[in-house]
Amino acid sequence: MRPVVGIIANPVSARDLRRVVASAGSLQIADRANIVLRVLAALAACGVDGVLMMPEHGGIRGHVMRGIERSRNLHEHRFPEIAYLDMPVTGTAADSTRAAELMRRARVAAIVVLGGDGTHRAVVRECGEVPIVGISTGTNNAFPEHREPTVTGLAAGLVASGRVPAKVAFASNKRLEVVVGKRPPEIALVDVALVTDGFVGARALWRADTFRELFVTFADPNVIGMAAIAGLIEPVGRDESGGMMVSLAPAATAKTVLQAPIAPGLIAPIGIEDWRRMPAGVAFQPRLKAGSVALDGEREIHFNESDQISVTLLADAFRTLNVPAVMHFAARNGLFQAGAAQIATAFA
Amino acid sequence: MSKNPFPLSKDELLKAYRTMRTIREFEERLHVEFAKGDIPGFVHLYAGEEACATGIMMHLTDTDRIASTHRGHGHCIAKGVDVHEMMAEIYGKATGACRGKGGSMHIADLSKGMMGANGILGAGAPLACGAALASKFRGDKGVSVTFFGDGASNQGMVLESMNLAAVWNLPVIFVVENNGYAESTSVDYATAVDSYVDRASGFGLPGVTVDGADFFAVYEAAGEVIRRAREGGGPSLLECKMARFFGHFEGDAQTYKAKDENELNRANRDCIKMFADRVREAGVVTAAELGAIEKEVEALIDDAVAAAKNALPPTPRELTTDVYVSY
Repeated sequence: MRPVVGIIANPVSARDLRRVVASAGSLQIADRANIVLRVLAALAACGVDGVLMMPEHGGIRGHVMRGIERSRNLHEHRFPEIAYLDMPVTGTAADSTRAAELMRRARVAAIVVLGGDGTHRAVVRECGEVPIVGISTGTNNAFPEHREPTVTGLAAGLVASGRVPAKVAFASNKRLEVVVGKRPPEIALVDVALVTDGFVGARALWRADTFRELFVTFADPNVIGMAAIAGLIEPVGRDESGGMMVSLAPAATAKTVLQAPIAPGLIAPIGIEDWRRMPAGVAFQPRLKAGSVALDGEREIHFNESDQISVTLLADAFRTLNVPAVMHFAARNGLFQAGAAQIATAFA
Repeated sequence: MSKNPFPLSKDELLKAYRTMRTIREFEERLHVEFAKGDIPGFVHLYAGEEACATGIMMHLTDTDRIASTHRGHGHCIAKGVDVHEMMAEIYGKATGACRGKGGSMHIADLSKGMMGANGILGAGAPLACGAALASKFRGDKGVSVTFFGDGASNQGMVLESMNLAAVWNLPVIFVVENNGYAESTSVDYATAVDSYVDRASGFGLPGVTVDGADFFAVYEAAGEVIRRAREGGGPSLLECKMARFFGHFEGDAQTYKAKDENELNRANRDCIKMFADRVREAGVVTAAELGAIEKEVEALIDDAVAAAKNALPPTPRELTTDVYVSY
C-alpha cells in the first residue's frame, strides 16, 4: 500500500486575546498555506504521493490549491496528490478531532499538525496509534517544537515511506486526563490550570492573580505559557517519568514570587506556594472549589462546588515523530545522498 | 443565591439580558410588520447577533461614539437610543429619531454617541476614525467603535481607515460582524476573504477573533480592547463570529443557505438562550426574573409599534431642515 500522510492545518489558531494583552503574533493564512506547501514538497521528495487534508473555511485550502495549480502549470511536479476528507466544517476545534479520527480510520502513516497546543490536543483526542508531528502556528506552542516545516515534512516523509525504524522514529508522550463533574474526560498535552475565573469568556490565560493550581506533563524553562512556570521551578523532561504539580497564589501574598513568561512578551510575577512531582497513574483532586479549568492555556470548563475534579497523568499516551532523531538517522545512513528527486523515484 | 462567578454584577447581567431581549423582540416584530407593507424602504435585521452589540456597548458611555452599518437596530438599542424613536423613524414618522427622514438605515442619536446607521457599506470606519481623532485632540478619553460586516471589510475605505488609525494611534475599535456571508456570497466560495485578523496585522493592529454568540467572550475581549484604546494603547480589530437568523434584507429568499440552517442556528447558536441558560444555571438570576424582563420588553415593543403607526409623517416643510449643521 502506498503511504499516505495526513495534514491538519488549523486556520483559526493564534487569534485570541493574547494579541492584545500580550505581543502574540498572528501567522497569516497565506503563510500557513505556504507552510503546507513546504511540507507537501518535502513529502513528495521522500516518495509520499498521497496526502489527506482536513477541509476548512479559513482560506488555507484556496491558497494551497492555487500553489499546486501554479506548480502544475510550470510542470514542476513538486507536490503529491491531495484529497480532502469528506466531513462537515464547523470552524471549531471539533473539526481537528474529527479529521484525526477519519485519518486514523484511513490508516495514514502520520499526521502533520499545524496549530498551537490546543490544535494538537484536539488531534490527540482521536489519533490513537497514528504518530503526529507538530508545526507551531499557535500562540504559546509549548507542545510543538519550533523547526522549519520543510524539515518536519522530510522527517514525516522518510518515516511514512518506511525508511526509518520505529525505535528511532517515534517518541512516547505523556498526557493529562481531567474529569470535571459528570462531563466526559478531557485531555491536555502540556498543562491543566485551575483559575478563579468562573466563566470561560475569551479563554486565554493572562491574569496571573487568578492562577491557583497547575499540573504539567513536562516543565520546560525554554517554553512560554503555564509549562514555563513549572519549568522555571524545576525542569521535567518530556521523556522523564511523571510530571509536576504547582500550587499558586496571587503574587502579593505568596511565599515565593517567580517572574515567568506566561504569554509572548508577557513576563508576569507568579506567586508560588508549593510544588512537587506528579507520578503517573494517580488521580489528584485539586483544592479550588469554583472557577474554571484551563487546558493547555485556554479556559475550557467552568465548575463550582458541586463538581468533583480529578487530574491524572498518563504515560505512553500517544506517539510523536522524533524529527531530530529521524534526520540524524537519515544523515548517518545516507538517505538523502541520492538527491531528493531520486529518493522520490526510489519509491515510485 | 450562589456566588456570582461572572465579571458583571447581577444588575449588569439583567441589564445585558434586557438589552439583548429588546433587540430580539424589536427585530422579530419588524420581521412581521415589514411583511404587512406599512414600512417604507428596506430593513436589515440583526436577530441572532445581540451578544456582539451588547457585549461591546456595555463598556461604552454616552460620550463614546459608534458608527454603525445598514444593519443598525441592534447597535442603536445597545447604545441606548430610544426604542420608540427608533420604531417611529423606521415607520417614517415625525416622532422618529431623525424626524422620520432617515428610516432604518439612517437612525442616529448624537446625544447617545450613536453617529448613525449607514447605508454605504464600510462608510462608518472613516467616521469612527474622525470621532476618535477628535477625542484624541480633546484628551477626553473617548473611544470610537465602528462595525462592519465580512463583506464590507473588503471596501477600500475600511482598509484606509485601519491604516490611518494605526498611523495616528487612534482610540478606535474595528468590529467585524462575521456571519459567514457577504450578502449572499458564502465564505466557502469567497476564499480570498481569508481572515479579518490578517487584515489588521497587515496594518500593524492587533486583531482578535471571538465567538460572537458567547456574550461573555465578547464582553471580556471588548473590555480589553476598549480599555487599551481609552488609555492610549491604540486601535484594535475584534472579529465576532456569529449566526444571524434572518436573511440579508427582509424579503431575501436566502437560497444561499442550507435548507435547515436558520433552524439549526436558532436551536444551537442562539446567543440569548446561551446567556440565559448560563446565568440561570449559575444560580445568579432566576427564571422568574428573566421572564419578567421578557414581558416588559414585549410590552415596550407593542407600545412602540402602536405609537409609530399612530404618529404623523413629517410635513413637506421638514424637507429642507437638518440639511446643514452649524458648528
